[in-house]
Amino acid sequence: MASTSVVLSPRPNPPGARPGPTANKARGLALLNNNHKVVGSPAPMPASTPGHGGLDLAEQMNDEVRQQFVSGAKLGEGTYAIVTAGHYRHDPSKLVAIKKIKFNAEFKDGIAPDAIREIKFLSELSHPNIIKLHAVFSTKEQNLSLVLEHLPLGDLDGLWRNKSITYGGADIKAWANMMCQGIWFCHENYVLHRDIKGSNVLIAADGTLKLADFGLARSFADPGKKMTTLVITRYYRPPELFYGCSYYGGTADMWSIGCVIAELTQRQFFLPANTDMEELALICDTFGTPTEESWPGVSLLPFYVSPGEHFGAELKGKGRSAAKMAKPMSWWRAKFPLLGEDGLDLMRGMLTMDPQKRFTARQALEHKYWTNLPRPTKKQNLPKEGGGELKVGEDLKRKGGETPQAATGRADKVARKLDFGSM
Amino acid sequence: MSKQPTRANGASTKRLAEDGGASTLSKTLHSLSLQQGPRARSLADPSSDICPVCKSSRYLNPNMKFRVNPECYHKMCESCVDRIFSHGPAPCPIAGCARTLRRNKFREQTFEDLKIEREVDIRKRVMSAMTKQEADFETLRDYNDYLEQVEEITWNLILKVDVELTESRLRRWEEHQKAELNLAPSRREPESLPTDHPTLKKGVVQRKAPSASSGSMLDTSANKDDKDTGFTFRGLKKRVAPPKEAPFDPFDGWEITPQYFVQQDDYEVDWYQTFKKDPAHLVAMWDVRDYASRTLREAFGGFGIFIEDEINARAIPSMNAGIGTEQAAVAAVMDVNMEDVF
Repeated sequence: MASTSVVLSPRPNPPGARPGPTANKARGLALLNNNHKVVGSPAPMPASTPGHGGLDLAEQMNDEVRQQFVSGAKLGEGTYAIVTAGHYRHDPSKLVAIKKIKFNAEFKDGIAPDAIREIKFLSELSHPNIIKLHAVFSTKEQNLSLVLEHLPLGDLDGLWRNKSITYGGADIKAWANMMCQGIWFCHENYVLHRDIKGSNVLIAADGTLKLADFGLARSFADPGKKMTTLVITRYYRPPELFYGCSYYGGTADMWSIGCVIAELTQRQFFLPANTDMEELALICDTFGTPTEESWPGVSLLPFYVSPGEHFGAELKGKGRSAAKMAKPMSWWRAKFPLLGEDGLDLMRGMLTMDPQKRFTARQALEHKYWTNLPRPTKKQNLPKEGGGELKVGEDLKRKGGETPQAATGRADKVARKLDFGSM
Repeated sequence: MSKQPTRANGASTKRLAEDGGASTLSKTLHSLSLQQGPRARSLADPSSDICPVCKSSRYLNPNMKFRVNPECYHKMCESCVDRIFSHGPAPCPIAGCARTLRRNKFREQTFEDLKIEREVDIRKRVMSAMTKQEADFETLRDYNDYLEQVEEITWNLILKVDVELTESRLRRWEEHQKAELNLAPSRREPESLPTDHPTLKKGVVQRKAPSASSGSMLDTSANKDDKDTGFTFRGLKKRVAPPKEAPFDPFDGWEITPQYFVQQDDYEVDWYQTFKKDPAHLVAMWDVRDYASRTLREAFGGFGIFIEDEINARAIPSMNAGIGTEQAAVAAVMDVNMEDVF
């Protein structure tokens, strides 16, 4: 075509040398199965010839994809999925992780929504800081298998738990930047991740962080469409979701990112609580009770209770309010010495109660923290012991919204009640 | 030969004394000497147990420790060091030395032989200045010549040949290396200028100085190359400064700009205006502009994508099915296109 030199429309302009336009396009339709071994002639393409042992075209194509991979040792098994290590058949050095989603009795007639979401968004997003989906195929028992990038070094959660390694401010900066880039790219392509936490940020062999587990992701909502508020693992859930706000945007993910940065710095969970009420109380303790002044419109949210209304009755007469004060700056400085003033400013920007004042991913990446000293550690020098392959198996098999350590608690299932009516 | 029998005699008389049930006094003396025995043997030189300054011996003071000052390597006991040098620098008390020593320079000796102690110190000093490696030279021969020259400098210092000259050259070489490392030649020049007038603290005079001595500056810069560096080595490559790192880019070079549409700040449509002002939507940063840009991109994002071409291009096996490390390594270079997200 004559117009091949046209630069394609809203396309991210990645750094480095750009391959020619035709090379770009080669990846176009063959998005998922992009090393699709096409038989020289377009023979399998003209459709419904029931050759090949009575398989229809879809089955043939599926078989072709499945044949490309060899699965190996099992890395983990959960109620939701089985994760195995694997590799390409033609090149055993190209490793992959195969996530086989178990048959779900709840969704007899189709695919579990988690899998749909994961496939849909991972096949759309291609960025160094987002886990890559190589291919999808199904097996005889109607089980879906997702062929994901092989990330052998565990996750951020395992990293801060591993007390045998030490890291400093520059390392945290490098990790925070990679997370922000990943989430920025999601948001720039109108995808909300909705389950960011330490154990969903995996570490590649070269130290790159990759956002994984898009089982709760969705695209930005249409106007007037309600979104479910029961998403995001509790420790990382922003206050507007606790207050039952159904219209939220990318800033909900930014709260989670802020929590992960805080967690990395302190090497412990930042706001751990056993129930949603406790979590909200903890947030109010730390950031102060939101009021109309600090967060315009908060009183409109369905579950918001203004501090004077129910609890502050006995205090009212004494001229005091039940509203809690935010922790002073000195508290933050004492708790997060590794971040420095800039880092603290950025983290507190992400952890702002009012989502309108909270940093968006773009604002976060434009912050001066990144360019100020110390320079973020280079990937090859970052500590990488995030728990290894088995931890990744644990992470991938888990459903979204579950806390890693306690899957037995009564309230743990809450996050799974998704409102699919709004999809 | 003549000594041998006398010593044998002495030993035999001693043995006699032992055998011939002597007095208790001689017995205690004997046991003392036995105790002393192993220690005396371990230190080859018996005089090493006696401080040359105060003449106290380890026999009387078992906790005695000896100190040495690298200025002159004269040994003395700790109490002497404390006594003589606690009030500031003082001359060495050893006769005929008279170098001024400072207390903080005194240290325990590592090697029993003070000559070795001194040589090791000198070698440390020379090696700290002479840090060139084989890679810094054109040929192996040049490198070997350099090593030989370094050894010559070392031996000059050890054997005290031309100490003053060698030291000053070594110092100049060190300065030269440091200046090269810092890449601040402008700062070095005024310092190396001969200051024939006392430097005043007034800025005016200091600023004048270079221009005043500009005439002499020519010849200093002319012979700077052979003199100022202290040493010259054949085949030494010029130090190449490592390329300066580009400032950190938080976006890592990525940008997403729509090319087929321009989004306006506002649209005069009823529903747009409604949602723009709806407090329930505003409260948690649900932004109608996000919606507008998403719909625009979904509508126009497919421009410039030609499905026919892509089907044809499919036949060419693409090289981008990387994984793990490989994938991530090349990700920043080539594998990050995604023109067909929508």
